Amino acid sequence: MAMPLFDIAAPRTVREACRLLAEAPDGAEPLAGGTELLLAIRHQTRHPGLLVDLAKVEGLDGLTYSPDRGLSIGARVTLKRLIRDASVGLHYPSLAEASRAMGTPQLQMMGTVAGNLCQDTCCLYIDRSAEQRYGLEICHKIGGHLCHAVGSSDLCWATYNGDLAPVLLALGAAITVADADTEDVWPLERLYTLDGKNPLALRPDQILTRIDVPPPARRSGAAYLKLRQRGSLDYPLLGVAVAVDLDDDDRCVRAAVALTGVDRGPIVIEQASRLVGGVPTDERIDEVAKAAYKRARPIKNVWGYSVSYRMKMVVPYTTRALKQAIELAARDEDRHA
Amino acid sequence: MPDRSVVLNVNGRAYAVTCAPFDTLLDVLRDDLGLTGTKRGCEKGACGACTVLVDGDPVLACITLAARCGDRIIQTIEGLAAGRDLHPLQQAAIDHGAVQCGYCTPGWLLTAKALLDRNPSPTIEEIRVAISGNLCRCTGYQKIEESILDAASRVREVTVSTQ
Repeated sequence: MAMPLFDIAAPRTVREACRLLAEAPDGAEPLAGGTELLLAIRHQTRHPGLLVDLAKVEGLDGLTYSPDRGLSIGARVTLKRLIRDASVGLHYPSLAEASRAMGTPQLQMMGTVAGNLCQDTCCLYIDRSAEQRYGLEICHKIGGHLCHAVGSSDLCWATYNGDLAPVLLALGAAITVADADTEDVWPLERLYTLDGKNPLALRPDQILTRIDVPPPARRSGAAYLKLRQRGSLDYPLLGVAVAVDLDDDDRCVRAAVALTGVDRGPIVIEQASRLVGGVPTDERIDEVAKAAYKRARPIKNVWGYSVSYRMKMVVPYTTRALKQAIELAARDEDRHA
Repeated sequence: MPDRSVVLNVNGRAYAVTCAPFDTLLDVLRDDLGLTGTKRGCEKGACGACTVLVDGDPVLACITLAARCGDRIIQTIEGLAAGRDLHPLQQAAIDHGAVQCGYCTPGWLLTAKALLDRNPSPTIEEIRVAISGNLCRCTGYQKIEESILDAASRVREVTVSTQ
């Protein structure tokens, strides 16, 4: 498969990069690891005339931890760096786990945190070469007016499959979004539109420059469970991330649950807050798991287990993730000092 | 759009290459430099047959742009043996029958080399995780894993005996 033509620019600053994105006459996209974008270009589902290579942009590859400020992750930090970093492994093990769960070692080496968060939504009818789509009417996602996965839908139902998003949502992460002149901090949830066709709330001239994760509480636990058919490569057919904080009497003071792989964006389960205020009981945990079940909306547009099996796994996976996080929090002592 | 001039350091040699911005490292290695040991498998980052080492780390040449590799140290399968002396990983692969059609072999050999450079005594589970991005349709992986485990001990013997 030949690679379609594009040009590439290598700016040195965020401002320059955003200007290039804003002014490109034939469309432009930022290039970090390239593990998704180059493939989409080769498959002719995305057609930027210019790639803005972020490799030489200063200030995008820091990875620092401090007990009072938490973890600061530059956009270009690779998943492999998160996996290998001692502070991440100690203070945010669910983030290291989600990074290890992604793709393959080679993709972890190349792929970046920002790229993983900003990944496009997926669908079996789109994620194939132009030759393989020949004869298939074009769908909402690529400029058409129908959905092959959900017949008669006016909406695009492409699925969001990022592993890092639910973990970072559960941990309360914020992102820094920059354009040529300004910089803004968003709660991570604001990045996601839940529109399969345009899943990100970024304008074409904006880039995500940094992810900040709050310092973990003294007695905190987190977990990420990924339903997959193979031991590597697969997207999450269901991903459940949980973060829980307990007080000294084992009462929950914070609880967050987020899912991936079951809608057009990662989804936060608000009912997790029902755990706050008391010692988590099986009944309360079950309430939260059932709320996750009600909210999950997997579609048969990603390779792997059936929709009904993925739905069947929502309650057990959410329950197990909550129990793991609660147990870790209960055993947590002064790991974060 | 203009072609790019880039100097690629491959297997210890410098190659002055002129390529389009959209040429992949795989294209340039195979078609311009004649290093056809790196294979074109899925061309979508899902099989690992195109694995090369860039600055010692396994990456996928099919989704790496050549023009971005100018200041990197690249190693392909052609650079694994020292002249006619096979690397212990290669010898162990032959000894264990870990090569059938051979198409996946350059990819996992380099992945395994990167593993042993970082972890000289991997467990079988660590080997499995390390090569989980290199798909093989022929062998069922068992002999590949055993050959890497054996190669690790051969490399350790050589290391000890040269100290």
